[in-house]
Amino acid sequence: MRTLLSREVWPMSNDKIKVAVIGTGNIGTDLCERLLKDPKFEVLAFVGRRSTSSGLMRMSGRVPNLLDSGIESLEPLWAQLDGVFDATSASAHAEHWAIVQQHKRWIIDLTPSRIGKQLVPVLIDKSASMKISTENVANYSMITCGGQSSAALIYAITKHAKSVEEVEISSSIASLSAGPATRNNIDEYIDSTENMATLLTGCSAVKSILVLNPAEPPVMMRTTVHVRAANFDLVQILKETRDLVAKVKSYVPGYDLVVEPHVAGSGQISATVKVLGSGYYLPEYSGNLDIINAAAVETATQHVQANRLKDARIKS
Amino acid sequence: MISFYDVTLRDGNHALRHTLTPDFVREYCQIAEQSGVWAVEVGHGNGIGASSFLVGKAKTDDNSLLAAARESLNKVKLAIHAIPGFATIKRDLIPAIKSGVDIFRIGTHVTEVTTAQKHVEFLSAQNQTVHGVLMMSHAIDLKGLVSQAKLMASYGASAVVLMDSAGNYVPKDVVARVAALKQEIGVQVGFHAHNNLGVGVSNAISAIENDATIIDGSSMGLGAGAGNAPLESIIVNYRRMTGSAPPLDKFLEMSHLVEMKYPEFLPRTTSSSIQSGDAGVFSGFAPQVRQLAAEFGVSQEDLWQELGKRRLVAGQESMIREIAQDLMNL
Repeated sequence: MRTLLSREVWPMSNDKIKVAVIGTGNIGTDLCERLLKDPKFEVLAFVGRRSTSSGLMRMSGRVPNLLDSGIESLEPLWAQLDGVFDATSASAHAEHWAIVQQHKRWIIDLTPSRIGKQLVPVLIDKSASMKISTENVANYSMITCGGQSSAALIYAITKHAKSVEEVEISSSIASLSAGPATRNNIDEYIDSTENMATLLTGCSAVKSILVLNPAEPPVMMRTTVHVRAANFDLVQILKETRDLVAKVKSYVPGYDLVVEPHVAGSGQISATVKVLGSGYYLPEYSGNLDIINAAAVETATQHVQANRLKDARIKS
Repeated sequence: MISFYDVTLRDGNHALRHTLTPDFVREYCQIAEQSGVWAVEVGHGNGIGASSFLVGKAKTDDNSLLAAARESLNKVKLAIHAIPGFATIKRDLIPAIKSGVDIFRIGTHVTEVTTAQKHVEFLSAQNQTVHGVLMMSHAIDLKGLVSQAKLMASYGASAVVLMDSAGNYVPKDVVARVAALKQEIGVQVGFHAHNNLGVGVSNAISAIENDATIIDGSSMGLGAGAGNAPLESIIVNYRRMTGSAPPLDKFLEMSHLVEMKYPEFLPRTTSSSIQSGDAGVFSGFAPQVRQLAAEFGVSQEDLWQELGKRRLVAGQESMIREIAQDLMNL
């Protein structure tokens, strides 16, 4: 029962989770900062494509292996690594996953490739579609910021609803937090977020919307979930939502319910969350990037914890 | 030569709370076909693919509206508006190509043109006529406006249309902006007025006088907030200015049809529209502002002011509730 293990019990052995981060852009750099501050992890390598990248230079003296020839440069380190985080691009991810499989390791996919299994940590073992792999070789997709921020609300509302007819997710993010990858892949973002909502609810009438707001000072990310169904148990929905939001908050401290689930028209329930970033490397208004990175770290933790526990059981 | 672009069946859908029916579209397009208007834009108020709880569910899906329009339009072009983030290439634009749409307008908030690159390039590669639309075009300085318009043109847009989505411009703003674009971007320039401050028609005329060649309007001004510049008023003004214009009769017939069919939905300049126009807030928020101000017992004026301060953009309708809630708790 890994979910009963409190964080204080960790580490169950003295072994830290040894990882590499591939991709030295904004996301990769923030992820690296976050992992360096997390006592459960040891970052063995930070991997880019240019020795002069500002991300790599920033980690000088802090990460033992700063590598600039892509995933190939990890070759001598595989024996020591537990797994890797991929913060590159959807096209590069396919190649990275092939190599990770050869080495029988896990990979957390922060790109919009949609190759990995979509996972939202708060729903592990709650939703049938969200499970930690029983094999060490695994590929988890962190979906999108809209997906990570909406999943708890979608789950809580639809769990206590009968005959879910429609699910809608709308997110607004600060323009400054939307890099070229987000802007170029806005259709893929929508597809991937909608796919998660369908996986979670079985409902095919799903819609995802993304809005960029250029206001100064930058706006905090907000995600609204709207569900239409034959009927609801609002009391249970409120209880479940508050409970899940608190659980998300344990790994995304800036996650808050700003509009509680309420009746928004006949047969409709709506609720809104706000995501403030933790400010590791990216500014606080980048809640959209923060929640993806936080989910990646939590997923890796859960995966390693589950598989080490399983290995320990087999040994004993 | 001015191309008059009729947004009654798209922007008007905001005023109708997205209840437009195929029957009305057919009836309207039969007159439009005889009118000398260049194009008729059809679909959800926020463009095709935008029907949602967030901005309003459409009574009839876009494809059915487009099919009804296509049946009745022959000389006159069929056009759509689409916003990346709401509409996708696969789900919305490809079906629109199949529905026989002639003109594709891809719109973004004025600072976010890069989100439209893939959509504009895709349509361009399919040899479709694509226009780039800069929504809320008042919400940027002149230099920024020019650079965003240039980006649209670089992706393959054959025209860039300035939307005064908040109805915030006075004629001198239109003069400065249209003239700058004409000089800098090398593609056609269009202008789309809203009448929040009561100067929609004057703004459209200023755009014409500064060589904008695509002019948007709607019959009876049917459109978001205080409505658009009434097309029939633009036409009569244009005739008085130049001595040549399409005959007025069919435009009056279209406005009469709208007036008879939807008397309770006709937009007008109101105290609320003046507040929103002056605050530079998207006109399409009007229904939510009315409803939520009443629900939370706050004044519409305070709510408009606050939306202006927080610089909300179209698609952030769900934040209006949160802001009304904050105002109530002040």
